Amino acid sequence: METDDVPLDDKAKRMRDLLSSFYAPDPSSTDNAPSNPGTLDAINTTSFDADQYMNLLIQKSNLEALLQRHVEMAAEIKNIDTDLQMLVYENYNKFISATDAIKRMKTNIVGMEANMEQLLDKIMSVQSKSDGVNTSLFEKRERVEKLHRTRNLLRKVQFIYDLPTRLEKCIEAEAYVDAVKFYTGAMPIFKAYGDSSFQDCKQASEEAIAVIVKNLQGKLFSDSESIQARAEAAVLLKQLDFPVDSLQVKLLEKLEQSLGDLQLKTNDIENASMESNDPKQGKVSDSVHITAHEGSVRGFAEAISAYRVIFPESEEQLIKLVQDVVVKHFETTEQYVKGRISSANLMCVLRTIWTDVLLMDEVLSEAVLPVFSLEAAQIALKQHVASTFNYLLQDISDALLRVTVSSKEAAEEHSLQVALEASKKAVLQGSMDVLLDFRQLLDDDLQLLVQLRDFIIDWVQEGFQDFFRALYDRFLLLSGRNSSSRQDQGLTGAHGEKVLAGLVLVLAQLSVFIEQTVIPRITEEIAASFSGGGARGYENGPAFVPGVICRIFRSAGERLLHHYINMRTQKVSTLLRKRFTTPNWVKHKEPREVHMFVDLFLQELKESASEVKQILPQGLARKHWRSDSNGSTASSRSNQLRDDKMTRSNTQRARSQLLETHLAKLFKQKVEIFTKVEYTQESVVTTTVKLCLKSLQEFVRLQTFNRSGFQQIQLDIQFLRTPLKETVEDEAAVDFLLDEVIVAASERCLDPIPLEPPILDRLIQAKLAKWKEQNPISP
Amino acid sequence: MQGGSSGIGYGLKYQARCISDVKADTDHTSFITGTLSLREENEVHLIRLSSGGTELICEGLFSHPNEIWDLASCPFDQRIFSTVFSTGESYGAAIWQIPELYGQLNSPQLERIASLDAHVGKINCVLWWPSGRHDKLISIDDENLFLWALDCSKKAAQVQSKQSSGMLHYLSGGAWDPHDINAVATTCESSVQFWDLRTMKKTNAIEHAHIHNANYDMKKNHILVTAEDESGIHIWDTRKPKSPIQELPGHTHWTWAVTCNPEYDGLILSAGTDSTVNLWMAPTSVEDEAITESIAESPAQQADPLLNSYSDYEDSVYGLAWSSREPWIFASLSYDGRVVVESIKPFLSRK
Repeated sequence: METDDVPLDDKAKRMRDLLSSFYAPDPSSTDNAPSNPGTLDAINTTSFDADQYMNLLIQKSNLEALLQRHVEMAAEIKNIDTDLQMLVYENYNKFISATDAIKRMKTNIVGMEANMEQLLDKIMSVQSKSDGVNTSLFEKRERVEKLHRTRNLLRKVQFIYDLPTRLEKCIEAEAYVDAVKFYTGAMPIFKAYGDSSFQDCKQASEEAIAVIVKNLQGKLFSDSESIQARAEAAVLLKQLDFPVDSLQVKLLEKLEQSLGDLQLKTNDIENASMESNDPKQGKVSDSVHITAHEGSVRGFAEAISAYRVIFPESEEQLIKLVQDVVVKHFETTEQYVKGRISSANLMCVLRTIWTDVLLMDEVLSEAVLPVFSLEAAQIALKQHVASTFNYLLQDISDALLRVTVSSKEAAEEHSLQVALEASKKAVLQGSMDVLLDFRQLLDDDLQLLVQLRDFIIDWVQEGFQDFFRALYDRFLLLSGRNSSSRQDQGLTGAHGEKVLAGLVLVLAQLSVFIEQTVIPRITEEIAASFSGGGARGYENGPAFVPGVICRIFRSAGERLLHHYINMRTQKVSTLLRKRFTTPNWVKHKEPREVHMFVDLFLQELKESASEVKQILPQGLARKHWRSDSNGSTASSRSNQLRDDKMTRSNTQRARSQLLETHLAKLFKQKVEIFTKVEYTQESVVTTTVKLCLKSLQEFVRLQTFNRSGFQQIQLDIQFLRTPLKETVEDEAAVDFLLDEVIVAASERCLDPIPLEPPILDRLIQAKLAKWKEQNPISP
Repeated sequence: MQGGSSGIGYGLKYQARCISDVKADTDHTSFITGTLSLREENEVHLIRLSSGGTELICEGLFSHPNEIWDLASCPFDQRIFSTVFSTGESYGAAIWQIPELYGQLNSPQLERIASLDAHVGKINCVLWWPSGRHDKLISIDDENLFLWALDCSKKAAQVQSKQSSGMLHYLSGGAWDPHDINAVATTCESSVQFWDLRTMKKTNAIEHAHIHNANYDMKKNHILVTAEDESGIHIWDTRKPKSPIQELPGHTHWTWAVTCNPEYDGLILSAGTDSTVNLWMAPTSVEDEAITESIAESPAQQADPLLNSYSDYEDSVYGLAWSSREPWIFASLSYDGRVVVESIKPFLSRK
């Protein structure tokens, strides 16, 4: 309509609109362009408001335009008047032509009634004539029908009497189908009259049928007969109302018995695969095993297909049977998987199963065996992955535990190192082996595995994630058990304690190794051959998150390292506690020699150092600490101040100098005692020494000394200075701490007069001499 | 973590170990502290936080005859406190009363109400029942636990009962259960022991080594927090002494003191010889037990229990006290005699 509008002039358009509005049932539908009353175009709408229109017009237009509008409107009104007239005329015309048409119709109908009556008479006469014909022929037809019935009856009687001979003939010709057909045809008659007129006949035919049944049964059970024939026999037997079900059951039992032969013998498979690894002789026996198995499966499959043809409605039982076979297969597999096997062996098993499944699927696709076995294989593979990781975990902890045992027995110098190497290898090599192993699963083109590819990838990734978590837990357990046993053992189990402390150190270093080497390698490897997956959905992200594992092991490494240091310092702590709580310091005698706790202390440090030396790498350079410790700038200053203080401490420490020491501390760089521990020999030893010295200081602060006690401390500390500096990288901090101990002792001393330097020297020299005497080899 | 410049400082003249909240002072946030100087004249400082909370004012300065190893304010009388002191060779413990102050600060003498002089060995601490008025006192020395009946008006204290801790148990300190007037925990080298004061019998023990300090949770019954040398802080349920409910890492060196916030659940403050004070938030619900055991499982999910570490100390921190009047304020005392009062308000919002 819209398109039409364009060529039409204004007038014609309005005409049409008006006409259509007249005829249209719904007046509202006509105004197809509902315009709001606020514009001048609203004149043609139903909602036209004359006053508003006027107002609008007057507002919008000037006089000239108004005049023009007036003229236009007058013209338009005239136009509308003529349009109206024309419409009336047109309507009138149409009405006249309609009355004409009605008139014509009326004249045409008038002559029809007479014709109709004529037609009715003719039809009546035709009907009476046909009735006459019918009655004259009725008698003859009745007779013909009667004769026909008699003849049929006679023929049936004849058939019954002939039946036994006919059956005999059929048996001779082995045309059992016909025989059964005849017999079943005659059955209703036998049933009705068998006891009276046809008795003989019935007996004879029943005998014949018995023979047939026997023959058919024989046929059914004989494997030599063709399947078709056997199936036919079954059908016929059924038609004869023979109890087929029992037969079916019997046959099924037979099938089930043959299942026994089908059992997978994992031993065989294992042997086979073992041998097949051995290229020389393996091939033959392998193929022999496989073919033997395959043969029996093939036989089974054939039997099933036969059975299925024979008893088409027994599908369900067969499906169950076949699924049983598969279930049993997988049960054996699961048992097998529980043991420690390689993926190659597993694959071998799976391959065999898959061939079986395919064979059976050919004959019984309704059992959806592939799907079924996929599910089962999924479970088996999952178990395999899980158990593989379990064994890996077991291997690693075995490696670690062997360490403790062996080093306990042999007490070899490098046992810890060996342990670390062994466990490192166990972790890395083990994981790589596992990956390689699983790779085989992926690379194989066995359909079963191909379909499970994504799952396998996910499992492997998940497996690694869980494996490392478990490994972390194991680490904590190993170190945690140490801590508890340490408490139980106390001082008596010092030897075992040492080994365990070493183990913690090994664990710490191993954690670092895992974080820095193993995880990246595994990530790489997984990215290379285990990418994809995604069967578990992307919202979960990839199953193996190396970042998380790295974080876990980084923190584990730190924790274990701290734990090691703690264990070490704790031992020293016990030593120091004994040293400081036992004697009465207020009544201490004059120092005669360096106290033996110093020896014990140094010995502890030496032990620790030897452990650390085996496990941890050397720091990049001595004095490495300066670059990353906050106290770097002030090291020289603090040294100088220390010297200052030393001179003071040796000359006039008699009075309280709290303020002085405070001031000194304020001006001195706060020595970083507790810096971050690094995985270097120096860092660990230094931290241990620092912590021990801090403990020493705290113990001193808890006591009150007389002059001799203070001097004893002074002597011991002075003696410690040299050997400690040799072992430690952060000399400034250690110096500071040693000074602190002396300061603390002087503060806690009733009469702090230090030893004269010459005496101090002499006593230290004496001790050194004695020391050299005792340990002539040691440096 | 942060510079720690937020704290308000106050300097003592000498080294010091102990600080106590003056609980009975309900009008002001006050702390009392005493110095530990072997050879100088020791002082007891009564410190008050100014009403604006911006500075610490010395409200009273009293001389004390000997160096103070332990100091505790009476929970019901702000003028009474106890000290454990040492001459270097011998130990003593006494209850003191601060004389009425008439504006003068020039070292008036403390009035000794009673001296707890039944001890022979090294006295470790004197305990007041933390929850209110109670006329009993407990003092602990190396080997014995004494229960005293204190009569402030008569200015006398008498031994009511005494119990030896038994051989090989050198007591180091103790804590009085705020929920049970008859239960006291004592720490010794290898365990925490629990005593029933009515019978003076040991009721229970937690076997755990090297505990320095123990503190009962003021809000929750049966919860005891201990501080140890190396292994940090343990939170125990006294009904389950086999293993701690929770473990916090503690300090780099010894964790010396630990104290539970009197108002906010799970807030724990610890002071260590690594010159820091750490503010901890122990997860409160029981389910967290499982979480703590498997921190490894989700280190990211597990919120760091350490809320803040105040490290602006020059020496080991031994003294630590929450203000009971304004429980978001605590005072800490480092060995160099520096009192620092901090507000933990910035961390409360994280609760």
